[in-house]
Amino acid sequence: MIESFFAGAGLLFDPSKVLIIMTYISAGLFLGMFVGALPGFTTLMAMAILLPFSFFLDPLFGIPFLIGVYKGGIYGGSIPAILVSMPGTGAAVATTFDGPALTKKGQARKALEIALFSSVSGDLTSDIVTILLIGPIAAIALLLGPPELAAILFLALIVISATSSGVFVKGLLMLALGLFLGMIGQDPIGALSRFSFGMGSIESGIPLLPLLIGIFALPEIFVSIEKKAGMIIESTSLKITGEPLTFKEFKSCGRTIMRSTAIGTVIGMVPGVGQVVAAFMGYAAAKAASPTPEKFGKGELEGVAAAEAANNAVNGPTLVPLLTLGIPGDNLTVILVGAFIAQGMRPGPSLMEEQGAMVFAILIAMVLANILFLVIGYLCIPLFAKVVTIRKSFLLPATLVFAFAGTWVFRGQPFDLGVLVFFGAVGYIVKKLHFDVTPLAMGFILGPPMEYAFGQTIILAQSNLLGYITVERPITAVIFALTPFLTYLMWRRSARLKARFGVEE
Amino acid sequence: MNDGSQKLDNGTTAPERRINFNTVSGLFFVALALILFAIIPYQIDKPLIVVTGSVANLPAELFPQMVAVAFLFLGIWLAVTSFSIHQVNELRNLDKEAIVNVSVTLVLMAIYVPVMVSLGFVVGSAIMVFAMSTYFGNRNFVTGAIISIVLPMFMFFIFRRVLLVELPPFPVDIYPLTNWSLI
Repeated sequence: MIESFFAGAGLLFDPSKVLIIMTYISAGLFLGMFVGALPGFTTLMAMAILLPFSFFLDPLFGIPFLIGVYKGGIYGGSIPAILVSMPGTGAAVATTFDGPALTKKGQARKALEIALFSSVSGDLTSDIVTILLIGPIAAIALLLGPPELAAILFLALIVISATSSGVFVKGLLMLALGLFLGMIGQDPIGALSRFSFGMGSIESGIPLLPLLIGIFALPEIFVSIEKKAGMIIESTSLKITGEPLTFKEFKSCGRTIMRSTAIGTVIGMVPGVGQVVAAFMGYAAAKAASPTPEKFGKGELEGVAAAEAANNAVNGPTLVPLLTLGIPGDNLTVILVGAFIAQGMRPGPSLMEEQGAMVFAILIAMVLANILFLVIGYLCIPLFAKVVTIRKSFLLPATLVFAFAGTWVFRGQPFDLGVLVFFGAVGYIVKKLHFDVTPLAMGFILGPPMEYAFGQTIILAQSNLLGYITVERPITAVIFALTPFLTYLMWRRSARLKARFGVEE
Repeated sequence: MNDGSQKLDNGTTAPERRINFNTVSGLFFVALALILFAIIPYQIDKPLIVVTGSVANLPAELFPQMVAVAFLFLGIWLAVTSFSIHQVNELRNLDKEAIVNVSVTLVLMAIYVPVMVSLGFVVGSAIMVFAMSTYFGNRNFVTGAIISIVLPMFMFFIFRRVLLVELPPFPVDIYPLTNWSLI
């Protein structure tokens, strides 16, 4: 792993590439912050729509670009949250507790700067932890064979469905639907045609990209257009006032930032919890530890620092289960899976073995992204503060055109545009009926590798599956036996956290 | 509007013990399961050589059958538990403006696909952006027209020149967008 790390560093800092990589990361950060700063436009939508850009770039450019969108988007939501109490993303809801109060006190600049510095601190620290952890975990993952992999994928799918928002059984139904959609095309063992209904366009399966853009981006657009609104907010309320943050003030938030970073890092490694809960937990922990908890909610810098450090600290660690076991922890990492697959890099135990250098190059690029994050965020705060004044009447059609163009370039087939619209409509309807589409996407992506691993297990078992698993593969048997118990534990924990912090729906 | 719930004394809502959208959703998945069971024999190819015994492969229909079983049991589970789920059917609660806006957008998207394919990305997208921005409240037509033309041209350039991928080109394929070196 050490060799892979240095090889990755060599790839990243290749003089002919490093500037291009930094340009793409910067572009991703800028676009992410731009979209994150727009209330009603989510990071998820930005990543889904910008996903096709990563397809046609070198993986060393395309994936860091998307990671830039991810990081920038999570931070961008804090800008309108602080200025006008309107969180650009769900992750910034906890920032509205103290951010707007600071703005009212004439300390908007301090609030925006502590949000930026906390976000970068949390993100940077958790990225370093990710790099340190990923090697040993990947080494353990390499010991897994097809039976263990099938069991882990099964467990992950069930747990993610259980911890997705909404009702448990509805998450499982979405998972089953995703598994079914993933079966359309050819079976992964014998390449036999399944459910193609004689349509040549789906002989090789439902295309991944239109499905992802359709279910993740289009429903958000449809929700945004339900009301005609010329402008999201008047520009007069977006003045950045007050003195800049001092080093002493930043230092006084140090313990809070460290605590929130630890919370965010742990949350990031647990599938299905995410940034929103991390931000609330970070905020609650800071308030509980403060000698002056009564100041929280009335314009406390530590309140902003706690929420922002925690939500950005989630970003890096979500890649640990993704890159080592192939398990995306949330809907944002599902989009990253799409990017990895399109680049011929299927996340899973063998990825680190086959392309360890590239994986480490991407991880180190994340660290590099934080430096750019700081610079771009600092320079562009006034610009992003004005973003919410852009007319939705232009943003919405522009977003749609991006979605269509991105889908078209995937295979150049009008059929894919139909798939995009179909899944957009399906995504919108199920969203309104309180079904979460994340398990659907997970089932669609992880179903075929799970079936393949299961198929290999059947062959290895030589018609004695039960005996083979219990005698020769006890870890598999233990994982299967623990699945209901772990699912229940994760579901209960997730439900409690979501209920406690009010993020169930 | 009836959302399948009733107000309690403490102001919260509780579901009524009658059919609601979750019941219907559950039954929908049960129906899907039955359809799947019916079509699996016809919609999954048979292997040319059937291997049996200790080297038998995973049959191609096994996972689809398992998913069908999952639809059946989970659908019944949802239908049965739907009477105690506290959720509002937001689809039914959509107001007229939302329905009209979403419908208009879907129609514009349906028109956009053939227009983009036949007239090219730039022209098709310019029409789409102008029509949609006008519908959604833009009354500055000059700005609208400029944005409608510049945005697709910019995107066309990014895709063709930076990402080196194809978008429907006609009628602005030859000149000037693919000949940036001439400009």
